[in-house]
Amino acid sequence: MTVADRIAAFRAALEEWLRGLYHGMITHPAYEKIEKEAEDAEDAFMLACFPDAFGIPSPVSYYTAELLPYLEDEFEAWERRLWDRDSLIERKGQQYHF
Amino acid sequence: MEQFVFFGGKGGVGKTTVSCAYGYKCANAGLRTLVVSTDPAHSVSDVFDQSFGDDPAPVEGVDGLDAMEIDPDDEVQRHLSEIREGLSEQVSAAMVNEINRQLEMSHGTPGAYEAALFDAFVGVMREEGEPYDRVVFDTAPTGSTLRLLGLPEFLGDWIDRLMYKRKQSIDLFEKAAIGDMEARRMMEGDPVLARLEDRKEFFEFAGEALREDAAFFLVLNPDQLSVNETERAIEAFADRDLAVRGLVANKLTPEPDDDEEGRGARYLREKVATERERIGQVEEGFDPPLLAAIESRTREVRGDLLEEVATELDVDPAPPERA
Repeated sequence: MTVADRIAAFRAALEEWLRGLYHGMITHPAYEKIEKEAEDAEDAFMLACFPDAFGIPSPVSYYTAELLPYLEDEFEAWERRLWDRDSLIERKGQQYHF
Repeated sequence: MEQFVFFGGKGGVGKTTVSCAYGYKCANAGLRTLVVSTDPAHSVSDVFDQSFGDDPAPVEGVDGLDAMEIDPDDEVQRHLSEIREGLSEQVSAAMVNEINRQLEMSHGTPGAYEAALFDAFVGVMREEGEPYDRVVFDTAPTGSTLRLLGLPEFLGDWIDRLMYKRKQSIDLFEKAAIGDMEARRMMEGDPVLARLEDRKEFFEFAGEALREDAAFFLVLNPDQLSVNETERAIEAFADRDLAVRGLVANKLTPEPDDDEEGRGARYLREKVATERERIGQVEEGFDPPLLAAIESRTREVRGDLLEEVATELDVDPAPPERA
């Protein structure tokens, strides 16, 4: 193996590491953060659509019920998140991997 | 003149009688007329002595007059089963029960009945009412009618907010999809947004039709309660930027002949005097003009009596100016 080859191999490995590091430190947390935020926004939407699930009568629940057939995934995920959501701090804190 | 005419008023003042008489008058004036009742008690059937369903059917013996009756309870059931159908097509069996529970809950809320009624109203204005020159609505008692008429604006705002929230979350999901990852939700072709958009248009249509193509009349009886309620109703209509076109006084006591002096005649005379006072109060105190004063009948108004009442009803059925 020539020196040039070894340098090339080293650079390839380094590049991969750097990419991984960048992904792990920057992109992935960012993606997670945004997705969590999106989920929160979706929860707010679901809550506005179906407040009667919590015993709060809504003037539009008759109409929003029409959306139910299209909201299967959202509905399931919403319920799941409601079950295992801890405090807001904990949810917001999940994005920092200590 | 507007295509849609609403008769409202306190319960029991004779809205159905007046609406039917008005429909009769319109039909006689050569207008294709449809009388729509939303009273589950089916009183239009009683007036015309013929049963009607939720499709327009011609009234026997009157040319150009059709009638239909909407039962809000049926509407709620229909809506429910429509969604259920969609549910079984779209949703996996495991989730159906879960969602079904939610669905039933939303159709059991107090607003469901009103929403169904509103849907039915607007549906008639949009579709069934199309071939008619005049559609006469015999509405539910004042309170709920007013709430009903206030719905388009209120619900329109609500739907706007829902759409905003939905868009926000989809937008975030799209942003969360980095590189060639697929977003969990896409703005384009989102069925939920499409449904909300449909609803929004529906409410906009309703709001516009009520503002532009509808006339409102209030029916009252010559007693203090009814007059007071009418006063409140006129104010409430004004609050919603809807003007009451006119008032119709119904069930006036007939005056006895001068030479009668019995106990019955005295009773009637006194009653007529009080009623005059109330009517005077209405004529002077209220802005919308009193268009007709209909005398009380000893029999229920139906058949030939309807014609008499229609003659007394001085509401102009002028043909609408249609573009």
